[in-house]
Amino acid sequence: MTLEAAKLAAADNLWGAIIPELMLGCIALLLLGLEIILPRKHHGLIPDVASAGLLGTLLGLFLNWKSVMLGSETFSGLLYHSTAGQMMRAFFLVAALLVCLLARLTLPRQPVPRVEFYHILLVVTAAMMLLAQSNHFVLLFVTLETLTIGLYVLVAYHRTQPTSLEAGLKYLLMGALSSGLLLFGIVLLYGVAGNPALPAHTSQGLNYAELARFLAANPNNFVAALGIALVLAGLAFKVGAFPFQIWVPDVYQGAPTPVTAFLAVASKAAGFAVLLALCGNGGAFSPYGWLVTPVLTAMAAATILFGNLAALTQHNVKRLIGLSGVSHAGFLLLGVVAAHHIPMAVGAVYFYLFAYLLGSFAVFGVMAHVSGPDDAEQELDHYAGLAKESPFLATVLAVGLGSLAGIPPLAGFMGKLFIFIAAFQSGARVLLAIAAIGVVISIYYYFGWIKAAFFESWQPPADATEGPARPARSPVGLLTGVTLGALALASVVIGFYPGPFGQWLTMR
Amino acid sequence: MIPASLHTYLVASVALFAIGLLGVLIRRNTLVVFMCLELMLVASTLALVAFSRFNGTLDGNVFVFFILTVAAAEVAVGLALIVALFRRRQTVQIDALNSLKN
Repeated sequence: MTLEAAKLAAADNLWGAIIPELMLGCIALLLLGLEIILPRKHHGLIPDVASAGLLGTLLGLFLNWKSVMLGSETFSGLLYHSTAGQMMRAFFLVAALLVCLLARLTLPRQPVPRVEFYHILLVVTAAMMLLAQSNHFVLLFVTLETLTIGLYVLVAYHRTQPTSLEAGLKYLLMGALSSGLLLFGIVLLYGVAGNPALPAHTSQGLNYAELARFLAANPNNFVAALGIALVLAGLAFKVGAFPFQIWVPDVYQGAPTPVTAFLAVASKAAGFAVLLALCGNGGAFSPYGWLVTPVLTAMAAATILFGNLAALTQHNVKRLIGLSGVSHAGFLLLGVVAAHHIPMAVGAVYFYLFAYLLGSFAVFGVMAHVSGPDDAEQELDHYAGLAKESPFLATVLAVGLGSLAGIPPLAGFMGKLFIFIAAFQSGARVLLAIAAIGVVISIYYYFGWIKAAFFESWQPPADATEGPARPARSPVGLLTGVTLGALALASVVIGFYPGPFGQWLTMR
Repeated sequence: MIPASLHTYLVASVALFAIGLLGVLIRRNTLVVFMCLELMLVASTLALVAFSRFNGTLDGNVFVFFILTVAAAEVAVGLALIVALFRRRQTVQIDALNSLKN
């Protein structure tokens, strides 16, 4: 590379474009510094600093929402800035803020250091924000690995509990396997796109747009098809789609509750942001619709059916929410399939993700209050009599679960409606029928949970040796109470009035 | 001696990848599984360097450095997890990882 080319490349590094991510990185380092500087009795401040940093970054993002970078590439094509990217940035920041809130509730119950948790959380959030805007396979791989490796540590964070460690190891093995598949797929695509013997070969085969141009000129290349299949398999692992969902229930059960929430919402959303960028209309893989559409269609159908049927028999609420999360991944895949033809489907997927965030964190917030010191043991029976003891928590739980089940007029219903409309327009009728069956099954197990909270009363075991007692419930603090109330309220309000989200959908 | 062609490198790379994948699926010792996972990454690296050399583009060579760094981070976290689990369980067999069941 000549000096002139190097200068050009350096001029393209607009660091101002990634200020939110840089801020998160700096705050993450600041937390570690504070742990050294502050006397031990003030260490309780560190989670506050992390939350304040996230909140400040979120506010800064909103203030600079319509930045001049929108619609342009920076860092020599590594990043592409778009409105969707800004939405996902806000999404991950909100998710991380809520995880902070849950962590302040549940982490003190365990004898583990707390500062590193927030440090890793911030780094992972920054990686997710970059991932959602990546326009290049090198950045995709590096950010995806940053977030996965951070999550390995977070999943195994309760390191005195064998269940947490075991979940961490299972997640590590599965995650590393999926990274291996993804990487080999990327390498094959890079290699075939650079082959001088093929038409439209490119030296920039790792760039999405260049790759799309190459694929459009070679619509039936076997190696390229194999590479695409491997990349899709790697991503399917990350979002927990059938047949790569085997890790989901175990890892969700063993991970600390805030981490389960982060995995279920933010990690899945990151996977779908990448899938949309690759498989959506105009994405890198769009010339290979003949391969991508049938693969994703079959995956979506199997994921919806498997997730819902497996969740039917669960008694542990963390496994239940994990398997129901698998079925949500199926509905989102349905949106990705539709996004190949219908531009509105992209907005529908984002709307669904936001509705899923609101509903999931409402449920996880209640779980954090009901669970005891043993994070892995959270049974449906523990919810018996919740409505009598704490009507507020029970109401939040009912709204959250109702939204996840897709009961009108909650936000989850609107999310499913938008996705189903997009799927109908794209002509995926069989898939739509399977999705409708999935919704009906899901209502059954979600209402089993609501029934436990509202209509069953707690019977203490007659004999103390008969079984473990139910863990004591934590009182609801002011901040968590307000947040949970706001989440439930937002689910209701967005369901009635999709407002700016709806506008954003139609504008596209 | 015949100079190695792209084909030779790719056959070696695919063979390494297949050995790694089979090892992950078949072997029951966590450490061996972990080594097989690293083998899969190395296979990708080999293919990447070969493509980079024969296609005459540099991106692949640069990508290799990122992959090495990522693999090192993964090994650091993974071995720490395996050691922590061994201290609790005195075994690293995959079949013994069964405390998470409904």
